[in-house]
Amino acid sequence: MKSSRRWSNIIKPVLAVSSLIAVAGCAKDAPQDTWQPAGPNAKMIDDLQRPIFYIAGIVGVIVFAAVAWAIFRFRDRGQAMPEQTHGKPALEITLTVIPVLILIGVGVPTVGTIFDLAKTDDTEMTINVTGQQWWWEYDYPAVGDNAEVYGISDPIVTSGQLVIPEDTKVLLRVTSRDVIHSYWIPKLNGKKDSVPGRVHLLRMEGSEPGIYAGQCTEFCGLSHAYMRMEAVVLSKADYATWVANQLEAYNSPSADNVLAVEGEKLFLQQCARCHQVNGLLNADGTPNVAAPDQYVVSGAAPNLTNLMTRNTFAGASWDLLTPECRDDVWNATPAEFGEKYLAGVSEDCLNQKDLREWLRNAPEKKPMYADPTKLTETGGKYRGMPALGLTEDQISALVAYLLELK
Amino acid sequence: MITTGSKFLYGLGSATSIAAILWFIANDGGSIGVVSLAFLAVALFFMGAIASFVRDGHVLSTDTDAHASSNAAQRNVGRSWFPVGTAFSAGMVAVGLVSSPGIFKVGICLLFAMLGQWLIKNWSDRASSDAAYNEKVRAWVVHPLEIPVGGAIVLAIIVLSFSRIMLSLSKESGLIVFSVMAALVLTFGSMVSVRRGASRRVIGAVAGVVLVALSGTGIAFALDGERHELVEAAAEDHFAHRACGEEAEETDEDAARSVSAKSSVAATVILRDGRLFAEMDGWNGELTSITLQRSNPSTILFVNEDDHEHRMVVEYGKIVEDLGGGVSKDTVLEACTSLITKGGTQAVSIVIPKPSFASEEPYSITVPGVEGASIEIQVP
Ligand code: HEC
Ligand SMILES: [Cu+2]
Repeated sequence: MKSSRRWSNIIKPVLAVSSLIAVAGCAKDAPQDTWQPAGPNAKMIDDLQRPIFYIAGIVGVIVFAAVAWAIFRFRDRGQAMPEQTHGKPALEITLTVIPVLILIGVGVPTVGTIFDLAKTDDTEMTINVTGQQWWWEYDYPAVGDNAEVYGISDPIVTSGQLVIPEDTKVLLRVTSRDVIHSYWIPKLNGKKDSVPGRVHLLRMEGSEPGIYAGQCTEFCGLSHAYMRMEAVVLSKADYATWVANQLEAYNSPSADNVLAVEGEKLFLQQCARCHQVNGLLNADGTPNVAAPDQYVVSGAAPNLTNLMTRNTFAGASWDLLTPECRDDVWNATPAEFGEKYLAGVSEDCLNQKDLREWLRNAPEKKPMYADPTKLTETGGKYRGMPALGLTEDQISALVAYLLELK
Repeated sequence: MITTGSKFLYGLGSATSIAAILWFIANDGGSIGVVSLAFLAVALFFMGAIASFVRDGHVLSTDTDAHASSNAAQRNVGRSWFPVGTAFSAGMVAVGLVSSPGIFKVGICLLFAMLGQWLIKNWSDRASSDAAYNEKVRAWVVHPLEIPVGGAIVLAIIVLSFSRIMLSLSKESGLIVFSVMAALVLTFGSMVSVRRGASRRVIGAVAGVVLVALSGTGIAFALDGERHELVEAAAEDHFAHRACGEEAEETDEDAARSVSAKSSVAATVILRDGRLFAEMDGWNGELTSITLQRSNPSTILFVNEDDHEHRMVVEYGKIVEDLGGGVSKDTVLEACTSLITKGGTQAVSIVIPKPSFASEEPYSITVPGVEGASIEIQVP
């Protein structure tokens, strides 16, 4: 009676913890699940990690069982000390040879996969990925196949969401402007560190249109947790539409959109010194050249030319879409996804709340060492976007203007 | 009653209190240092008080007669060379003050080492009446510091001497000297490990002689100066070349000496058969237009495969400073390698602050003296 009570005391918590762990593994729609590859590179990793996981699992079970058996079978019952021997060559050699064979079995395909994942000579499209505290910039050079095959006749600069064509071998040139970050879209490939002064290569390929989430995986300072990113895979036809839209010439808001016209003026005064909007003209008619190098530690701020074609902002940490509109895009079937994504952010779908909060006081939303009194170490430069002390009317005008940027 | 052991602790405690006050003054009232130093001082005084109370643990505190006759209360009879050493260090500090900061720093270090050793020696000498035991106690305290510091100094002497020798020798003889030395060290090491019986004395003596010979040679070569290529390259300034023209004479083969800077570069620029082109990971073939990110540290590696010496020049716009009164100052942003010979490579690291559309002239990579050699840089 007593001993069975003791057993149930042990078994209950063990059962509880293990079932909790088991249930945690059941998250079906986890957006960052390495076990659900969505492209050939991630598939290669998956094909490697699954058998190794099973082998390691079986070995683990055998070892634990043997240890448990030894503990139970030879527990101290006051029996006499058994005969002591030293060494048993046959056993020792066997127990060395078996792990060696297993490790060779694991090692050969691992090395093969590493080499396959490092291949670059089959690249079809090349994109620069630059990390900085705390967001990712993408630029699509207008060179080689990018220009000739994919119609990128002028460089495109975006942030947060990487947009790539389906079934295309994309090569990312990953680097950093400040500290070490790491680029990881779990469903599409493994991680790659982004290191200042170095260019690291990462293959990226998606087999099905959709959005694939990821996040910076190298601790990079205060807002590391808010440094997220998304890869958007579009069908080739949709991709061409996306490129054409990114390259469209800038249009000032039409005169009847009074609020947006007001917003453009405000943008020139308050925002254009950090944020580039391609084609935006100064009041004197000269092209506006942003100078983030003078205001931001990393020397860069997101290019906002086509802000409303992406649907997240500030390191993909907040949605530009309301929850309903966001779900509509995220849960779209692959066939419908392209159209929904390309629709961008309409006035009805705009997530006013988060965007307004951002403009009201960005460092409060995303910690960025932005206290103006503590910037002596960085020569007065911010590590993100400062609070600009805008009034609610100014914010409304700016939001109306930003809605035009697509 | 102030005993020898407690004296040591009270002394350290007082020094720590002073340090806490100095810290407070020097750091404008910064708290972390003051709090930790004050804690340390309190702990030291407390331990000193315990040592006083138990008379260093040597005699019963109630046995007042023994206070004067205990070991701890006796003067050391041995001769000490610490006064001389301390005086010498103090002299060095004084000389350093008027001559060079290097001598001053070494003097300060020596002075502290001497005083510390003196303090500990005095304490240990009176730990008991047994000299051998006293020596052992001293060793316990100082060896954990003495041995690593001594090892580091010996290592520094070896590295410094050897590097002076290698920097002075020509590249060819350097190769031979290095191989012979390495072979000798290996032979000696193998002999020592194979012949277990070898006396420690002999090994120590051999090592000592080699160390003296090495540092002697090192000093001699240091006085002789570095080989002329290095002197010339230094005169031209390895990394910040002021003259980007075709004319400068000095060459610096392989000047970017860091291996890491030469791997995973943004672009490799190659001069071959009078053509200049770039190779970039992710792009196939020879490029004459490359894209670099704005505000991003980008390393460009230049490989000269031409028979003549050449340098690579990167131009990326100019800064126009308004000096007021209609006067402005132009600074051309450029960076270049030094002249490098055939087969040489050198890296240049640049940060381009402005996009190319902000500049009237395109950003470019050129090689002075090679007609038509130009690569366009696009910065979005
Ligand atoms: C001092 C430079 C600076 C100024 C001025 C500035 N910003 Fe920013 N802004 C930044 C930086 C840096 C980020 C990136 C912050 C992050 O994601 O961590 C950013 C992010 C943003 C984003 C999100 C963009 C994206 O793609 O993720 C928006 C939208 C934005 N700013 C709008 C504005 C507006 C509107 C103004 C003018 C009222 C403005 N900013 C003024 C530096 C600045
Ligand atoms: Cu990061």
